[in-house]
Amino acid sequence: MDYVIQTIISALSFGSFYALGALGIGLLFSVLRLINFAHGDFITVGGFALIVPSSAVVATMAIGSFHPALLLVCIVAIVVLLALVSYFLVFQHVQNASPATMMIVSFALGYTLQNVIVMIYGGRPKAVNIFPELTGQVQLSDGVSVQILQLVIIAVTWVLLIALVLFLRRTQVGIQMRAAAEDFRMARMLGVNGKNVIALAFILSGGLAGIMTLLFVTQTGVLTFRMGVPIMLFFFIATVIGGMGSLVGAVVGGYSVGIVSVVLSAILPEELRGFRDACVFILVIIVLLARPQGLVLTKAAKERV
Amino acid sequence: MLLDVDNITVHYGRLAALRGISVTVEEGEIVCVVGPNGAGKSTTLLAISGVLHPTDGAVTFDGKNIAGMSPEAVARAGISQVPEGRHVFTTLNVEENLRIGTRMRKDRAEIEKDYKRVLELFPVLAERRRQPAGKLSGGEQQMLVIGRALLTSPRIMTIDEPSLGLAPNLVDRVYEVLLELRRNRGLTLLIVEQSSERALKAADRLYVLRSGEIQLEGKAADLQDGKRVRQAYFGFEEGVTHEGEVDF
Ligand SMILES: Nc1ncnc2c1ncn2[C@@H]1O[C@H](COP(=O)(O)OP(=O)(O)OP(=O)(O)O)[C@@H](O)[C@H]1O
Ligand SMILES: [Mg+2]
Repeated sequence: MDYVIQTIISALSFGSFYALGALGIGLLFSVLRLINFAHGDFITVGGFALIVPSSAVVATMAIGSFHPALLLVCIVAIVVLLALVSYFLVFQHVQNASPATMMIVSFALGYTLQNVIVMIYGGRPKAVNIFPELTGQVQLSDGVSVQILQLVIIAVTWVLLIALVLFLRRTQVGIQMRAAAEDFRMARMLGVNGKNVIALAFILSGGLAGIMTLLFVTQTGVLTFRMGVPIMLFFFIATVIGGMGSLVGAVVGGYSVGIVSVVLSAILPEELRGFRDACVFILVIIVLLARPQGLVLTKAAKERV
Repeated sequence: MLLDVDNITVHYGRLAALRGISVTVEEGEIVCVVGPNGAGKSTTLLAISGVLHPTDGAVTFDGKNIAGMSPEAVARAGISQVPEGRHVFTTLNVEENLRIGTRMRKDRAEIEKDYKRVLELFPVLAERRRQPAGKLSGGEQQMLVIGRALLTSPRIMTIDEPSLGLAPNLVDRVYEVLLELRRNRGLTLLIVEQSSERALKAADRLYVLRSGEIQLEGKAADLQDGKRVRQAYFGFEEGVTHEGEVDF
């Protein structure tokens, strides 16, 4: 029983993390048709911003040593700024190109960021320790204890989800954004400023990435210049499974991927665990064969068929 | 002159969809552009609204050159477009659809009054205010996009094929509303139509567009017999088809 509860919590926390990642990608895709493969590297940059820029093997905390609230604000601000700068310097200039072109540009941006990190910080992994209190265990009931961080990830995800839903449904700007996501050209013909909407999507997406940086680095305790790449792959899969361009789909996809991978590691025999990701990918292929448009169908996706 | 499209050429890639066409609209006028499939009618409206940018020529609105401006800037300047295929935001509810274009308005006090007037004009929209616009029928969606365009308080409204996909009685209703808006509020209209019959009934002036060129223009009153319009529209002499054989 304890094991089951621990597995469920673990699955939900992985799922939450992937859902946040898929949301960050989905927000941009919905208004710009951009699949931003640099999203994972935004998270990486946020991580390295915690420490003093140097190639020394032992990391010295910079922002990482700030008061937690200030730390949060600084890292989120840095990643948001990075996202905005990448819009104005890079993506804005290809926003009328095909989605494939934009995607390739995002790959290039991601590699560039990774290489800049290697140049400044060196290529070796660096240990960092933020929010150490969160990595402890908490007793849920007799004999059942889970990591505090897992509960925090789930809680943070739901707070952000609810905030995002309220923003998109209740505010004028949010409604404009939904309109632009559904029919960008028509929204502009009604006076909605296209550039502002896209910039806002980058801000939201960057903000999510910034928060994810902190969750991720607290969890792993280590910074590597490629750490954004494998998680980005899972975000992408979650986005595709959920159905491109649908935010509900991103959440559904994120939880599906998280839950499936945790459940697989729990039930696969020892010898096969190393192939867990391969099993996840096989499932993805099966899902996409059955539902090529993803689990949640959007009007935008329908129109593009 | 409120709107002056002067000798514009518009390309899709290397293909010229419009080759030096000119259209003018006076304040308070209803002008129709008619033409067969692929004539360039929609292209003309998209070039006015800033979605497409002419490679040559000028578009002047109220004395200001607007060719090359962004769609949102054109909308803010006072041109509201109802494009082909309606384009309601299906996931937004009816009220959100109606109000989305009001955010750019500076006369905030007038918005509520205009909103009430639009609901009076289209009572069915009032009933379904909270419903997702995607749930409306085709006719209701056409009312919605006209109402939405009106709520931007435009100096001129351009409409692309308001009759597309609507039953004839609904088309009549749409044109009734448009004519009423002109009568009661002096709304200036530039309407694109496939049916020259309908256009001759509604318009003050008429342009016939075919193959990216204006074939004929004139006062609707002077073209009522339809013969010259048909000839310009199809590009061949009358007699090749028999009267009544072509339905338009
Ligand atoms: N996005 C596009 N890309 C390439 N060519 C286009 C595009 N849109 C229209 N065209 C071409 O430009 C020409 C004019 O098209 P347009 O849509 O303006 O015609 P239309 O008069 O509105 O026709 P319809 O009555 O069918 O709506 C056509 O030959 C069409 O094939
Ligand atoms: Mg057309």
